[in-house]
Amino acid sequence: MNKNPIKLGKLVRRTIFYLFVVTLAVSIILPVFFLVSLSFLSTRESYSFPLPLLPSLKTEYSLTHSDRGYLLSVYDKFDKEYQTVLDTAELEKMSVYMKNQIGTPYSIPKIKERIAELENGTKDTVFFSVRKNLLLNYSTFFQITRDAVPALVRSLQIAGLTILISLSIGSMAGYAFARYVFAGRDVLKFSVLFVRMFPGVAIALHMAIILANMGFYDKPIGLALVYSVGSIALTVWITASVFMGIPESLEEAAQVFGATKWQTFLRVTFPLALPGLAAAAMYTFLGAWTETVSAILLTQFNPTFSVVVYQSLLGAVGNVNLTAAGGLVLAIPSLIFTFFIRKYIQQMWGGMTI
Amino acid sequence: MATLTMKNVTKIFGRNVIAVKEFNLEVKEKEFLVLLGPSGCGKTTAMRMVAGLEEVTTGEIFIDDREVTELPPRKRNVSMIFQNYAVWPHMTVYDNIAFALKLKKLHKDEIDRRVKETAGMAKIEMLLERYPSQLSGGQQQRVAVARAIAVNPDIFLMDEPLSNLDAKLRVSMRTELKAIHDKASSTTVFVTHDQSEAMSMADRIVIMKDGEVIQVGSPDDVYHRSGSIFVADFIGTPPTNFMDVKIQKESNGTHLVNPHLNLLLEPEMAKHLNGYNKNHIVLGIRPENILLVGESDAALSSSCLVSEPQGSHQVVAIQLDDNIVKVVAPPNPIIAPGADVHMNFKQETLRFFDPDTTLAINP
Repeated sequence: MNKNPIKLGKLVRRTIFYLFVVTLAVSIILPVFFLVSLSFLSTRESYSFPLPLLPSLKTEYSLTHSDRGYLLSVYDKFDKEYQTVLDTAELEKMSVYMKNQIGTPYSIPKIKERIAELENGTKDTVFFSVRKNLLLNYSTFFQITRDAVPALVRSLQIAGLTILISLSIGSMAGYAFARYVFAGRDVLKFSVLFVRMFPGVAIALHMAIILANMGFYDKPIGLALVYSVGSIALTVWITASVFMGIPESLEEAAQVFGATKWQTFLRVTFPLALPGLAAAAMYTFLGAWTETVSAILLTQFNPTFSVVVYQSLLGAVGNVNLTAAGGLVLAIPSLIFTFFIRKYIQQMWGGMTI
Repeated sequence: MATLTMKNVTKIFGRNVIAVKEFNLEVKEKEFLVLLGPSGCGKTTAMRMVAGLEEVTTGEIFIDDREVTELPPRKRNVSMIFQNYAVWPHMTVYDNIAFALKLKKLHKDEIDRRVKETAGMAKIEMLLERYPSQLSGGQQQRVAVARAIAVNPDIFLMDEPLSNLDAKLRVSMRTELKAIHDKASSTTVFVTHDQSEAMSMADRIVIMKDGEVIQVGSPDDVYHRSGSIFVADFIGTPPTNFMDVKIQKESNGTHLVNPHLNLLLEPEMAKHLNGYNKNHIVLGIRPENILLVGESDAALSSSCLVSEPQGSHQVVAIQLDDNIVKVVAPPNPIIAPGADVHMNFKQETLRFFDPDTTLAINP
């Protein structure tokens, strides 16, 4: 039956390999998929059980008379029946409910039309369907969180400042570690990592006091400084290894052929280090952009966007689908930045050999 | 083109590592000078001080009459070819060659003309739009050469430029580098540890050891008139054979004697030992100056250990106690291992060395 046992063994190995890869991929993709899907669900959907895998595109309604006024029902795909969601005579309440809870904006005049059908017609129930506004969560998120847009701008400022500070200081230190031999170099290089060993929360209070003394509390530059402390350590290590990969003779050649030290850096060292610097910039951006814990503690009236997203989970406005929408908005700049910088990083691995 | 003068140049690394000691050198106009020595002898450091890549601890360096000791590299008007080529990987070949010219703010047409001219000299005119990673090692070397010519330097510095090439390419690049040197009628300082490279290219060779100059001379000088045991041993493959011998003055003339050898010196050669008052010397003889002779004419006899045929000649290794003497002999007949070998010397080529100072006794 089995003429070739080696082939079978290979098949088994392959199967196991692909199972492993698929499991890995699913475990990465699933949470992201869940977040994306959640951000498009209506509030009613997001609190229903079981949770729909995909958002519905429209909602089937039925409208009928009741003692108090009108009975509004929604078709439930899972239970395969209409479920009453509202019993009211107030048309405005009905309209608001349809928009906020079901995600289907429906104006009062249109509701009146449906009621007219009910009054005039022979049927005792009117069925109608309304298309869902998929982006409603996103616009709602920006409406209910007071300062989401300024927070977004602040977050960009902070991330930009952090890149500027940590890359300028970190890459200079990295260059020194790569090029010069001095007493205590290895100890010093290792010790820049110490700062990353402390959890941010543990030192946040002290940070807050120091920042307040400096007059930087609740200001973008304050958070940028705090983030830079951690990310300088990272950039030192990344850039040191990048500069080590650039042969010194390339710089020496530039000097022999007429370049000043500054020109040597601009025309030879910097372009060659660019892929590595881009990678360092990306790590720094992602770190500063998504950081929340320190930001909660170190801001008051001027939160970052990640804090705003976090706050949308709390209190009366707390709806997971809105938070999911905010979370995705938070992810978009990271995605854009990563894609933009990707080609420089790829240069380092592929296109160019130093 | 220019002359290069180094006066008492010393380089000390850290506190007490002396890399170059009291180095004095004058390179003439259009000369091809080779700094030769084993690794770690300070030859590269000496050159890097000329380029300005290494600070001079004490001493002075002049290009023509211009003192450059303290000048940064860019103000010295030298150009350099590096061991690992050091062509910039993020620039095309054209931009590599044009780099220095652009920094000099030359006119675009002039830059274009110079780049194409030098690319032609280095035979890379068809590669101008490529990036270094798309080139072979030999081609990258040519880019480095073209880049060095393009700036019209006073002095060419070449730091072991051929050592990264494969054996065959190395030999052909030698010829080309020499030809380019002649064509550009430049003054060149060339660093190498390969003595055959030095012999084949140099107008003059400076042999260095432990940061000091051991001997300066033409290839002919250092080969045939080696000033010390070190030079005689370092130059030539196979190297000079050495034997400890005793001087015995007898009625018929001066003899050099050891357990295997009894050589009656011709009066011409014996004369050189007149001023020498110890009774032992180290005798140096080049492998090609040992003649295989009949038993009756032999000054030295032993048996063949092994013979290495080389086509044009054979190298015969002969065991003498703990020593191995190598002889370059005609290719035929091939001498079998164990066969008796009888040898005599071309007396006029013998070198006498003082065993204590290791310096040559005869000029």
